[in-house]
Amino acid sequence: MALSRRHFVQTVGIGAGAALTSSVWGRGRENSVWSAFEPELQAVERGVICIASNENPVGPGQKVLGSLRTLLEGGTRPGRYSGQMGELSEAIAGHFKVKTENVLLGEGSTEILRAATQVFTSKTKALVGTIPTYEECAGYAELIGNPVRGVKLNSEFKIDLDAMLAAAKGAGLVFYCNPNNPTATYVGAKATRDFLTKLIAASPETTILIDEAYFDYVTDPDHETHVPFALEHPQVIVARTFSKAYGMAGLRQGYALGHPDTLKKLRGWTASSGTGSLNVFGMAAATVAIGQDASFTTNERKRNAAVRDFSMKWFADRGMKPTDCQANFMFVNIGTPAKAFREACRAKGVMVARDFPPFHQTHARITLGTMEEMQKAVQVFGDVLGKKSTAAA
Amino acid sequence: MSVSRRGFLQGSRSGTASHAREWLAARGHEEFVAELQQGRQGGRGMARPQLPPGVEPIRISSNENPLGPGKAAIDAILGKFPEANRYPFNSTPLDADLEILIAKLYSAKRENVVLGVGSQELLKNAARVFLSPTKHLVIPSPTYGDPAGFAQYMMKVTVKSAPVADKTLKTDLSALLPLVKGAGLVYLCNPNNPTATINSAQEIKDFIAEVKKTSPTTAILLDEAYCDYTTDPSFATAIPMALATPNVVVTRTFSKAYGMAGVRIGYALGDAATIKKMSAWRMPYNVNTFGVAAAVASLKDPAHIKEESARNKAVREFTIKALADMGYHSTESQTNFIFTDIGKTMTAAQFRDACAAKGVMVGRDFPPMEKQWARISLGTMEEMQKATEVFRSVLKTATTTTSGKGQ
Repeated sequence: MALSRRHFVQTVGIGAGAALTSSVWGRGRENSVWSAFEPELQAVERGVICIASNENPVGPGQKVLGSLRTLLEGGTRPGRYSGQMGELSEAIAGHFKVKTENVLLGEGSTEILRAATQVFTSKTKALVGTIPTYEECAGYAELIGNPVRGVKLNSEFKIDLDAMLAAAKGAGLVFYCNPNNPTATYVGAKATRDFLTKLIAASPETTILIDEAYFDYVTDPDHETHVPFALEHPQVIVARTFSKAYGMAGLRQGYALGHPDTLKKLRGWTASSGTGSLNVFGMAAATVAIGQDASFTTNERKRNAAVRDFSMKWFADRGMKPTDCQANFMFVNIGTPAKAFREACRAKGVMVARDFPPFHQTHARITLGTMEEMQKAVQVFGDVLGKKSTAAA
Repeated sequence: MSVSRRGFLQGSRSGTASHAREWLAARGHEEFVAELQQGRQGGRGMARPQLPPGVEPIRISSNENPLGPGKAAIDAILGKFPEANRYPFNSTPLDADLEILIAKLYSAKRENVVLGVGSQELLKNAARVFLSPTKHLVIPSPTYGDPAGFAQYMMKVTVKSAPVADKTLKTDLSALLPLVKGAGLVYLCNPNNPTATINSAQEIKDFIAEVKKTSPTTAILLDEAYCDYTTDPSFATAIPMALATPNVVVTRTFSKAYGMAGVRIGYALGDAATIKKMSAWRMPYNVNTFGVAAAVASLKDPAHIKEESARNKAVREFTIKALADMGYHSTESQTNFIFTDIGKTMTAAQFRDACAAKGVMVGRDFPPMEKQWARISLGTMEEMQKATEVFRSVLKTATTTTSGKGQ
C-alpha cells in the first residue's frame, strides 16, 4: 500500500527545507500525517469504533438529512446551486445577526485557513501559532515558503498568551485555535479579548485568525464567540465549520466571519468566489443546519459533555490525567508512546488519533464517540494500558 | 443583487420533473458566474438579460448535462447519509478508492491520479506548480477562462495567447508554438470551450513533441472536460501520453457528461512525479463524501455515459442543422454546446437579450468573438426544438426590422 501513502511522502519532501518547524508542527492534514503512522489504514470497517478524527459520532440529525433526502427525491426544488451560495450566506448571516458581507464561505474551514495564510503571511511576515495546534496554516505557510514561528503551550496545555503576544509582534498572521486541537483546552473569553486588544495595539499590521471549530462544545462558563469582536476589528477573523458539532465533516462546509474589508482580501482564494462553487449537498445541508434553533447545538453539547465526563473520569480514576477538555476530544497523559497505544487499540477495533509531537511519547488524543462507543472503548483502553477495567478501589 | 436573483429563482421554481438531477447538474451556474465576473469588471453592457415574468426558462447557457446524473449516482448518494459526519478519509468508499478506480480505468496507478474540487481546483493547482511571475502561461484565444484569470489576477503571471484558426475556429497549435519558449504552462482545452472544436490525437501528439523540443521545461495541461461528448474518431484522450510524459497533465470532471456540476469532483492524471507536484497543493479532505460515492457509482455505469453522448449527438445535429437552415453556420461541434456565427445579424449580447425576452437563456459573451459568435449549450431535444423556434423568430425579426447589426 506504499502508493497510497504518497501524500505524506510529498509532505515530507516539502517540509524538508523547513525541518525545524515541520518536525514540531507536523505537516497539516489529519489523514496524511495519520497515514504515515498507520500505513494499513483503510475505511472504517463495520464494528470498528472510530474515535480518531474529532467527528461528531451522531451526524447532522434528521432535520438536515430529511431535507437533503427531500431534495434528492425531487419533492421541492432547491434552486440552482449558484443561488444556494447566497442562501447559505444569508442563513449564516441571520444566525449571527450580521450582514452577508461579513460572511465568507469555504470548502470546510480548511480553505479559510489556507486563504488567510496565503493573504496575510509573506517571506517577511511569519505565521505564528502554538505547538501543537491544528496544522493546516503552518503546513500551507511552508508550502508557499513563508516562515512559521511556533509558541509553546503553558503547563496546562493552554495557549501561553504572554509568549504568544511576544512572538506575534510583526507577524503576518496569528493562528489562535480555541479550543485548541489537539489539546482540547480553552482560553476564556475575557483573557482572549484582552490578548486581542493588546496585540492589535502592539502590532496593528498583524491579522489574527481565531479558529472556533470546537466552540459549540465549550462548557466553560467564561466563553463567548469572538465574532462581534471580529466585526469591529479588521485585524480579526473567526473561522467556523460544519464538520464538528453540526456533524457534517463529509460535506466540506466552513466559513469565516469578519470585517468586510478583511474578508474581501480572502475571497479570490476561496472556491466560493469567482468562478468556483461549493458542493450542493453541503450548502443545502448547512443552510438547514444553521437555521435550526439553538437546541440542536445545546443538545449536542450536553450529549458530548456527558460522554466527556464519563471518559475523563475513567482516565482520572486510573491516574492518567486528561487536560481540561472543552471539545469533543480529550488529550490524555497515558504515560506511554501514543503509537504503541494506537496500534494496540486498533488491533482491538478502536481507532484513536495519530501522534501529536512534541507530546507523542506521553499523550494520546482520543475523540469522544457516543456513550456506548466510549463504554466499549474504555474496556479496550484498560486492556491495552494494563489498567483494571473497573475503577480502582 | 439578491433581489434580482431571487426573482429569477422564483421564475424557475415551478418545474416538477427531475428536480434532484437538475439540482446536481447545477445548470445555470456558469452563467451566474458570468454575472459575477461582469460585475467585477465593472460591467460592459453584459448584465443578466431580463426574462419575461412567470416564464419557465430554457437554460442553455452553461454547458451542463440537462438530465443530471444517472440513477446509480443518486442511489449512491442516498446510501451515504449515515456517513455525513465522516471525513472522506474515514468514509466508505474512501476518497482513495475513487483514485484507485480512476487509475484502473486508465491502466495507471494511484500515484498517477489526484482528485480536485471540480477540475477548477486542479487548474489552479497546476498554475501554482508550473507558473510564476517569470514563467508565463500560453493559451489559445478564446478558451476556458479560469486558468488565465487565476494566473493573471492571483499570481501576477503573464499570459500569452494566439487566436484560434480563422475559419474553423480550431485551436491553432502552430500559432501557439512560437509562444512556448520559457513558458511555465500551456493550457489546452480539448474539446475547446467556447469554440466546441477539437484537435486530433495526432495534432496533440505532435504539438507536445514540438513543445518538448522547443522548451523542455514547459508543462502542458489538457483540459478534457468535454471529452465524453466527442464523436469524431480523430479525437483521443491524451491520458496515455500524460502518463508517459513528465509535465503533461490531463484534467477531467464529473461536471459535464456525468451531470454532476454541483457535486464538485474532478481529477487529474499524469506521470507520478508530476502528479506528486500537483498533489502537494491539494487541499486536505478536498472532496465531499457524497460526491465520492456518486463518482464511484457513475464510473461503474459507463453505459449511462454512452447513452448521454448519443443523446447529445442527436440534439447537436438537430440544432446545428436548424441554424444552418436559417443561414447561420456553426463550428464543427464535438461538445454539448455549439458556437454559431450570427454576426451578419446581431452580436452575442443582442442575441442573448432577444432570446431571454422569449424565455431562452444562451451563453455569455466570449471576447474577442462576442460581436459575431454566440455559444449555445445543448439542452434536451424538446428544449432545443422550442429554442430553435425562438432563434428563428429572433434572428428573422432582426433581419427584417434592421439591416445588419445593431439596434
